[in-house]
Amino acid sequence: MQIVSKLRERRYQAILGAIIMAVIILAVKPEVLLEGIQRSSLYAVIALPMALILGIVGIINLAHGDFMMLGSYMAYWFAVKSGLDPLLAMIPAMLAFFLIGILTFYALIKPVLGSQELNQLLLTFGLGLVLEEAANLSFTSAPLKLSVPYVSASLTIGDLTFGTFEFVYVLAAMLVFYIISLFLKKTRIGRAARAVGQNPKGAKLVGIDVNKTYLIIFSLSIAIIGTIGVLFAMRHSVFPVMGAPYTMKSFCLIAMAGIGNITGILWYSALLGVSESIITAIPGAAGWADLVFFALIVGAILIRSYQQRVK
Amino acid sequence: MMKKGIILACIFMFLGAGIALAAAPKPASGDPIKFGAVLPLADITGKQASRAMQLAVKEINAAGGVLGRPLVVVIADDEMKGEKGAAAIDKLATVDNVYAFIGGMSSGVHMAQLPVLKKYAKPTVWIGAAASSVIEAPMAEQAWYFHLHPWDYQQVGGYITGFKELAAKNPLIKLQKWFIGYEEGAFGTTGYKGFQTLWPQQGWEVSGASFKSALMGGGEYRAALRQAKDYKPDAYLWLGYDADALPMLEQAKEIGFAPPMLIGAPPGWPADFGKSPLAEGVSLFGMWAPSLKEVSKVSKHFWDAYNKEFNEAPATYFAPLGYTNVYVVANAINKVGSLDQDKVIAALKDTKYDSPVGETLTITASRALKNQGFTKQKILQWKKGVQQVLWPLDFKTAEPAYPFPAWDKR
Repeated sequence: MQIVSKLRERRYQAILGAIIMAVIILAVKPEVLLEGIQRSSLYAVIALPMALILGIVGIINLAHGDFMMLGSYMAYWFAVKSGLDPLLAMIPAMLAFFLIGILTFYALIKPVLGSQELNQLLLTFGLGLVLEEAANLSFTSAPLKLSVPYVSASLTIGDLTFGTFEFVYVLAAMLVFYIISLFLKKTRIGRAARAVGQNPKGAKLVGIDVNKTYLIIFSLSIAIIGTIGVLFAMRHSVFPVMGAPYTMKSFCLIAMAGIGNITGILWYSALLGVSESIITAIPGAAGWADLVFFALIVGAILIRSYQQRVK
Repeated sequence: MMKKGIILACIFMFLGAGIALAAAPKPASGDPIKFGAVLPLADITGKQASRAMQLAVKEINAAGGVLGRPLVVVIADDEMKGEKGAAAIDKLATVDNVYAFIGGMSSGVHMAQLPVLKKYAKPTVWIGAAASSVIEAPMAEQAWYFHLHPWDYQQVGGYITGFKELAAKNPLIKLQKWFIGYEEGAFGTTGYKGFQTLWPQQGWEVSGASFKSALMGGGEYRAALRQAKDYKPDAYLWLGYDADALPMLEQAKEIGFAPPMLIGAPPGWPADFGKSPLAEGVSLFGMWAPSLKEVSKVSKHFWDAYNKEFNEAPATYFAPLGYTNVYVVANAINKVGSLDQDKVIAALKDTKYDSPVGETLTITASRALKNQGFTKQKILQWKKGVQQVLWPLDFKTAEPAYPFPAWDKR
């Protein structure tokens, strides 16, 4: 009876629908589901730190993907200069990007915190362009690619051969999600950050250092995205404008999930990633993947607007 | 006697020195003659072409310059943007007062430059822009316009001839079934349409699947590769960009797709592509390969001089093309002995230049253009980190590695 009553809730209906869909895809084309999950996780892990900044600091960071690009260059540089596994670059990247986050916050973000949203948007957009041009001047537009043998590792089960490296993105997405959730719920700074995100004036009134909270959240998010850049570089080519499309996708995911809804980002990433994987697997339909991606976003936003109006 | 001998020796020494001095080229002097080059300097093609142009200028000036005057190439960056490329032509013509325009890479940029070039109508020798549909016809009537890069249709015609000749030489090579993986932008889709038209005319089956290039925010190729794997092609060819090259091979390895022939056709390759073990046996198209230095003296000279001058190896065929570009115009002016534009254009039409890309460059008519330079590309293959020439057979530097080596045997 309990199960039946739970199934009346929309949330559980969605979960059940997703499970049924996954089972069907798994039976027909298992590789589509596996690769869809891998892709979804990449989208999610990139979008999560952007959502954190937007949810708490209240700024749409249009330079988000460009910080990832810098992290990728750092991984390349680290691996080539040291001869070590690029995965090891994650540790210095995390520290370096935390510092970069602090510098960026003090130099650029803090001065525009109280200003109009358009100014903030233009600022981060401009910052993104500066980072891209700086990379262009430093490394040229020629793509670089790390040669890491294990990124093409695969597993064969019966007739199915699939890549295993991209499960790193699944792990990373789960880890980042878990750490962010834990941080926001269990730590003092995290709880303060939630309060600041919900009502900065009220938070200030009860003695929370709002600017310090903004600084920590912004720097933490930049540290995460810079570190994700290392993982990204292991599998993808690195070039100055590589991050821009991921800024857009991340922003779209946040718009779908709703500001502050980091669990929603995981679900919508899964929806978009698996949908993309299904579309591209249909012969002759790959070109429709972007259309479906954006149609789903428009649909989700319209439905939410409708629901809010009804409420 | 002793005195006489010393005097005679001195006379011979002076005479010898005089003869040597007379034979040595006089250093270039006077007002410089300027060529204006437009290139994408942030891209490896533009960067290396501009360096090769400077190398040619150095050699030409050391040999006496152009009409005894020093040659200068003023280089402007088009940043791969049409409007910047067009503005660069204006600036070179009005501020730098150049005699001729050279350079080029992207067809899109060149399209925007055509009206400006027509305005000045100076001798123009272009090494880029292969898109015939947008460049060739609009420039058909311009006697001052020379195009050195093979047009897209000439390249495809060359590949057909090349593959047939390779298959005739090596009966193991099969070309019956082709699968084309193409990026979903204009470059890939136009190319794929070309294959769909021309390949069946050769009796070859062709199918394809698109992918989103990493340059456009993609980088996921497994769906297209799986379709290719299911098709079981004799040859898999991908039309994408340099950013797609290694990730695509990694994903092909990941899903266990190793067709008998794997060909990549990006406009340029990543600088470190050859260092990857996955590159072994990958075929490609290009106008030039470093290995040409083994069979061409001019290519060897270019290779050695470029390495010595810049302490780096030329990695793109735009380097020898840039070098050729400067020499062709300088030679034409020197041949005429003046800067008379009509005479220089006539001399350019009469070009016979042993180029570092292998072939002797001559000017012939293409479909619409009267002044076309090179007419085909080469079929190359990555072997032990080096691009080897498979075809034309006159320039062959290695036997084809066929079939494509299995992923676990490299």
